[in-house]
Amino acid sequence: MSEQIFESAILITGFLLIISGCYCLIRTYHMIKIIIGIEVAMKAVSMFIILSGYISGNEDLAQTFVITSIVIEVVVAVVAAGIAINLYRKYGSMDIRNLTKLKG
Amino acid sequence: MEAVVYTCLGLMLVFGILAVMLHSMLKSAIALAAASAALGVIMYELGAIWAAIFEVSVCSGLVTVIFISAISLSNTDKKDLPKLYEDGKRMAFLPLVLIISGILLIVVAISSVSSLPVPTPVAEVADNFREILWNHRQADIWGQIIVLITGALAVAVLFKEGELP
Amino acid sequence: MRVIANIQMVANIAVLFFVIPLAIIAVNTLLPKKLAGRVSFYLGGFAGIMQAAAAAADFFLLSANRLHEYEFSLLWDLSIEGSERFSVDSLSLVMLFCIGMVTIVSVLVAKQTVHDRKRAYVNLLMTLILGMNGMVLVTDLFSLYVFLEVVGLSSFILIAMFKTDTGLEGAFKYLVMSVMATVFMLTGLAFIFMQTGSLQYKHVGMNVLRFQSHSQSVLIYAALILLISGFAIKTGAVPFHSWLPDAHQSANTAISILLSGIVIKVAGIYGFIVLVDLFNEVPAINMTVAVIGTVSIITGALLAMQQNHFKRIVAYSSVSQVGYILLGISTGSTLGLLGTVVHIFNHATFKSALFSNAAALHEQVGSLDINEMGGLEKRMPVTAFSSVTAFLSTTGIPPFAGFWSKLLIIMALWKSNMQVFAGIALVASIFTAAYFLRIQKKVFFGKLPDKYENLTEVKGTVKFAEIMLSVVTILTGVFFPLALLYLKGRGII
Repeated sequence: MSEQIFESAILITGFLLIISGCYCLIRTYHMIKIIIGIEVAMKAVSMFIILSGYISGNEDLAQTFVITSIVIEVVVAVVAAGIAINLYRKYGSMDIRNLTKLKG
Repeated sequence: MEAVVYTCLGLMLVFGILAVMLHSMLKSAIALAAASAALGVIMYELGAIWAAIFEVSVCSGLVTVIFISAISLSNTDKKDLPKLYEDGKRMAFLPLVLIISGILLIVVAISSVSSLPVPTPVAEVADNFREILWNHRQADIWGQIIVLITGALAVAVLFKEGELP
Repeated sequence: MRVIANIQMVANIAVLFFVIPLAIIAVNTLLPKKLAGRVSFYLGGFAGIMQAAAAAADFFLLSANRLHEYEFSLLWDLSIEGSERFSVDSLSLVMLFCIGMVTIVSVLVAKQTVHDRKRAYVNLLMTLILGMNGMVLVTDLFSLYVFLEVVGLSSFILIAMFKTDTGLEGAFKYLVMSVMATVFMLTGLAFIFMQTGSLQYKHVGMNVLRFQSHSQSVLIYAALILLISGFAIKTGAVPFHSWLPDAHQSANTAISILLSGIVIKVAGIYGFIVLVDLFNEVPAINMTVAVIGTVSIITGALLAMQQNHFKRIVAYSSVSQVGYILLGISTGSTLGLLGTVVHIFNHATFKSALFSNAAALHEQVGSLDINEMGGLEKRMPVTAFSSVTAFLSTTGIPPFAGFWSKLLIIMALWKSNMQVFAGIALVASIFTAAYFLRIQKKVFFGKLPDKYENLTEVKGTVKFAEIMLSVVTILTGVFFPLALLYLKGRGII
């Protein structure tokens, strides 16, 4: 029973982190903040994968998954930061309210 | 072990929310690194040692460096930030949302906690991780190589100084 | 003995799907800058041609040996217990062929629309192809995700690489939506992994039946909802379509061809095919996919009617056509899958044709606002002809290619007792006709404005691409019954 409470605690924390990350993604106007929201949600996802490995008895497989997803996460952060910096050089601010060229 | 994990879960949640809520980008990035470190400890406690090492070194190290360099390239006056981006107003409802969803999740958890699967203990095999990574996940390794090539191309294309059209 | 040699050939050819793009990245990067500017496009075109040829050769070898799939590896030992493997089957080979074809068209168009950063364009094109090839060849849900990310990352960079206002904006919006898809999908994968202890297709499919208890099935349903949302975002299906017209409009036309012609299909639709195949024991999944498809068909068509930008209309048309493909998948039957695959091929053809038209118009007219155009038929006959064939094929007028695929999809829906959806699919064709008639009327028919009096037809590779795609559309339509007979004879249907 205590094992299951332990698992539930991890699941609940993870969901709360995903909600914070996605909320930030939707509500904030700052591009870097959006990327930080993404990272917060991805942390929770890594935790879920490790928990799944722990539950199903495949810790090592779960580790390989997490390592791969960390590599991807870093490259996504680099690309997102690159696009954000180019937008900053265009508009002089990191505000997404400037992004209004595409409508309809 | 459980006490450590519970503490780190609490820390991770607090730092995660701080990363999202703080006005200063620099403090946000540091809070994210702290959340990452807490996750590293949780991974270590759950038996994922290699993943923990990666999490701490790459996520709380390298990613923070990326963020800080992005922030320093785009220096907005710190005093203007709250006014410009209205983060205080925009994010004001997050604590409320989190409390409500937290209560809901706890209710769901209490009603179904006994039906969660019980962990299966694994037989310890020396170097099992390395064996799985190199002998079973080759497609992932090829994928990682290609992701890294893409990342290198991204740096070459997106961070190149020059005239903007 | 001969048969065995042939089977070995299948694997030898399949390895090329990874080796060629990797080799071209290496060559293209190492070339001196001056030379690279001249030969980069030829390298890209070579990759596309080789890919299409290899896929076709493999397809015939596979069906000549009466095999359904063949497993192979890339420099690793397949005999190790539990090791991952790549696998080619008829479905993945058709997808690989489409990837090759769209690559060729993209390079042909790029020759006239991409003026600087040619080397970077070809390199990123190759990583995009690698990602898509990987997606259709892997046999593991996590590897599928890894290659999906390669596709996503290459697309973001390709959209943003010319650093125009709109390009950066479209790329950023696409990236944000994509990352949400990633978070959903990985959470879903974690839940499935929790139950099955493995993410290989064979283990997942085998273990689905085991979920008897209530809470386990709750977790699996949650995972399915998350995975479907993730792939729906990647496909641009309604209600997750907001990024698609932005990204496809803002990219360079050579890149829009790739995104609309093949990326949404490999990154999104192929994921749906895998999901429906793995979880065919769960009846709700078919209905969900069918509903998403129907809503996409109608919403996409209605939104396309209100746009004034040529590329934006074509992008919304993708949302609508993807709906038909989803309906075909939702039947879960072989006939439905065949209709889906043929529609994927047809959509790749006519969407590439329409975007080539966009490139031609952009080159000659200089703008893509359809309100400024009119009567261009007289000045640009080839573009007008190719646009009309693409439009007739999209709407599903016999004997054009689109007619056969839509017929197959509607027949499959009818046979699977989904008559309501079949009816909606039929009626929605009228919407397709409506927005395309509007575009044709405003761009190619009517009175020619005085300022376009000296306009000439586009020249060079774009013209060649338009003619090639029109020929493919018409020939596919005319010879499709023969293809059906061939497939039937080979036991594929």
